[in-house]
Amino acid sequence: MTLTFGKSATATRAELTLEWRADGSLWAVRGEEERPVSVRRCFPWTEPARHLSLRDADEEEFAFVKDPVDLDARSRAALERALAVAGFVFEVTSVLEIEEEVEIRRWQVETRQGPRTFQTRLDDWPRGLPHGGLLIRDLAGDLYHLSQPEHLDKQSRELLWAFVD
Amino acid sequence: MSTVQQLDDQIITRYIAQPLRLPAELRREIERVWQGAPVQLYALADLDQSLRLTEAWVALGPRHVAVARRSGEEWEIRSFERRSIQAVREAPGLSANTLTILGPPDEPALALVRYTHRQRRAFENIRFVLEEGMGDAARGTGARHEIPGMDADRVYAESIARPIREAQALVSGRQTAVLRRLIGYLKPYRRQLTLGMGAATVITLVSLIPPYLAGVLIDHVVRPAQAGALPLERAWTIAWIAVAAMAVVYLVKQAAAHIRLRLMAILGEWVARDLRDELYEHIQRLSLAFFSRKRTGSLITRVSADTDRLWEFLAFGVVDVSLSLVQLLGLGTVLLTLDWRLGLIMTVPVPFFCWVIYRHGENISRLFIRAWRKWSRVTDVLSDTIPGIRVVKAFNQEQREIERFGERNEDVTAEFNRIHASWTTFWPLLVLGVHTMTVTVWVFAVPRLLGDGVALPVGTFVSFLLYTTMFLGPIDVIGQMARTINRATTSAHRVFEVLDTEPEVRDVAEPVRLEPVHGRVTFEHVTFGYDGVRQVLRGVSFDVTPGELIGLVGPSGGGKTTIVNLIARFYDVTGGAIRIDGVDIRRLDTGHFRRQIGMVLQDPYLFHGTVLENIRYGLPDAPLAQVIVAAQAANAHDFITKLQHGYDTVVGERGHTLSGGERQRVSIARAILHNPRILILDEATSSVDTETEREIQQALERLVAGRTVFAIAHRLSTLRKASRLFVIEEGRLVEHGTHAELLQRSEGMYRRLYELQLQLQ
Repeated sequence: MTLTFGKSATATRAELTLEWRADGSLWAVRGEEERPVSVRRCFPWTEPARHLSLRDADEEEFAFVKDPVDLDARSRAALERALAVAGFVFEVTSVLEIEEEVEIRRWQVETRQGPRTFQTRLDDWPRGLPHGGLLIRDLAGDLYHLSQPEHLDKQSRELLWAFVD
Repeated sequence: MSTVQQLDDQIITRYIAQPLRLPAELRREIERVWQGAPVQLYALADLDQSLRLTEAWVALGPRHVAVARRSGEEWEIRSFERRSIQAVREAPGLSANTLTILGPPDEPALALVRYTHRQRRAFENIRFVLEEGMGDAARGTGARHEIPGMDADRVYAESIARPIREAQALVSGRQTAVLRRLIGYLKPYRRQLTLGMGAATVITLVSLIPPYLAGVLIDHVVRPAQAGALPLERAWTIAWIAVAAMAVVYLVKQAAAHIRLRLMAILGEWVARDLRDELYEHIQRLSLAFFSRKRTGSLITRVSADTDRLWEFLAFGVVDVSLSLVQLLGLGTVLLTLDWRLGLIMTVPVPFFCWVIYRHGENISRLFIRAWRKWSRVTDVLSDTIPGIRVVKAFNQEQREIERFGERNEDVTAEFNRIHASWTTFWPLLVLGVHTMTVTVWVFAVPRLLGDGVALPVGTFVSFLLYTTMFLGPIDVIGQMARTINRATTSAHRVFEVLDTEPEVRDVAEPVRLEPVHGRVTFEHVTFGYDGVRQVLRGVSFDVTPGELIGLVGPSGGGKTTIVNLIARFYDVTGGAIRIDGVDIRRLDTGHFRRQIGMVLQDPYLFHGTVLENIRYGLPDAPLAQVIVAAQAANAHDFITKLQHGYDTVVGERGHTLSGGERQRVSIARAILHNPRILILDEATSSVDTETEREIQQALERLVAGRTVFAIAHRLSTLRKASRLFVIEEGRLVEHGTHAELLQRSEGMYRRLYELQLQLQ
């Protein structure tokens, strides 16, 4: 069964092109229309590479990319660059400390981006992801991804034991 | 420096590894580049272009923006004028956000910075001020948006620390300080505490007597009598005296136990009561902003479960821990005195046992975290499916939900069984360890009892054995001491967190009481922002004379509810002033003033209790006849008398046994009886059907007569009778006039909204 609703245009090679311009923004061009856009993944964890919503400054969907292979090579490269920023999360490489305080849990970790300390609520548990791995959301809303917790060092695994199934 | 600012600084220092403020030398350098103009606002861009953690700063001045990036030991500063800014864009990502400040079209961006969500609030402040400035320029006012009475350091610290402060409003201090403060609550009950501690000391000391007496009896009475060294008659006398002494010891011990248990339990209860009273009284005084930050469940737990846990600690924990230490010391001393060789066997391993119990506690807490996490998955299913049972049934998903629950239930059971496996192994092993000590004592004692080596009297050995049975209790208490104290200090923290929160709305030293309140309400250039920077109201001015009915209309989020919240003084204005009968609202006695205000809200809140109690909530002593008159005026009397228990009907929690329209009419009756001079109607008829709306409208017309009324309504037809209508959009009063006057404005917002609603009907 195929459901087709809504008005937003699905990208095809002919009608949508993407490019980075001097103003530092990703621009989407479709026929006569062009707008600076940001990329939103519809399924950031289930299918991160497909089903992408391109939204303008007013958060309106300007175009929808079902699959980047539908775009020309330049647009695809531009889109990939935008996706790297939009999909950025901290990649945890080791866990140094997990401490409980009155209402919060304090985490000290090493990430690919550098050392980081963050806090979560005591009842906010790491979330298991569809393709494995864990995702932790801190009090400010930043995300920390542990792609393969079982392959971390021994100390990290011991500290994480209570949080992993 | 204010308490909140100190707390924010503590939070940043302790929890967030980033600078407490803009580095002083950089600030000086930026201000030098700006020829002395001050830095008004700043934010840390903590991601570089390749998304690695870095330190770059964006600073905002009255006429400039500067972006500073580290270049080795130096700062590379790029500054540009605010007037060259054409647009500001923010692209949010999962954890990386991009702020682009744009100049003329087709030119490179003036600035492009990336930052995590931790910095997002600080950047939103900058973005807001820049956009306001661009708006001012576009409107031709020429004025750059100023930040009302803020210092940049405070705004920055507040924006970074806020998420943590909202989750935990006290930075965990030293346990000893928290304990000292907690024990301070015992001060008023010094006499009971001294007696209770005295009784507990007596218990500990007299517990040491029976084993000693047993030894003395064997060595100095029984054995000499058996050996013929002591006349039987004298042996009988001494033995009976010893038995009587033992009986007295047990009597004294139990009497002391009675005194200790009773006094300490009652004392703990008094302290818990004092804490609950203080906490509840303080909660009642706190501003609305506090309640929007804290979850209701968390506050209820603090007043109930946390104070209960503190009772347990104060009643038993304090005494148990201190006396167990005394008991262990006493036992060790007695054993070493009785026989130092055997004494060493019993006392040397004690610290090891305490450590093992402590470690076990640590391990089991990990197991509990895991079980707690899985337990929350079970409760997630319950809290999803029970309120949503209609959806489950409509989509025929019962079996799937049963399986989902079963799976999680199985999972949590396995975790709890893991905990049981742990403690059921640990404790027998621990007791076995203590028994091993006892056996070792036997191994060393038997040869001596049989005459090989240093002589060991049988009585001394019996005393010794009896003392060894008393070891396990205090070892257990001391081993668990860390956990007991941890639990108590956690609860104390949660209670003190609320007690240390200052109400944001406070009365001045000698507040004014308006008697009577006439109901004139004046807004003079009122600005207001919930976070101090982003303004929800921007220079709103109006003057409402007593008895006017003002309709507040406009798009959602425009600031209508904020206006009525400010009139009720739930918050204080950030700029400008509100006057009631010409007196600044901040100079009024808030409690007295609020008694002159009535509110009928969209979702009327009824308390658990009878209809009568709910109508009389503002005036508990109002005569019954007046209650009926108020209910009649509110069109509520008819349905109330149809209820089985009439006005004495218990309406249940939040009044959910009544329909929405009925609850609304009870709340109108409550407002009528309260007889306020200023009345606030916030969407009072929006959630009811047409017939009920008609009845409520009639009731409201009776209610508003002779009062100053502010009515918020989305259905504009309900405000036709308003004396004046204020159209509020984006925090500004954009139109005002009567219904007819506003309809005459062909390009007016009110007319547009009105026509839109007509079309929808």
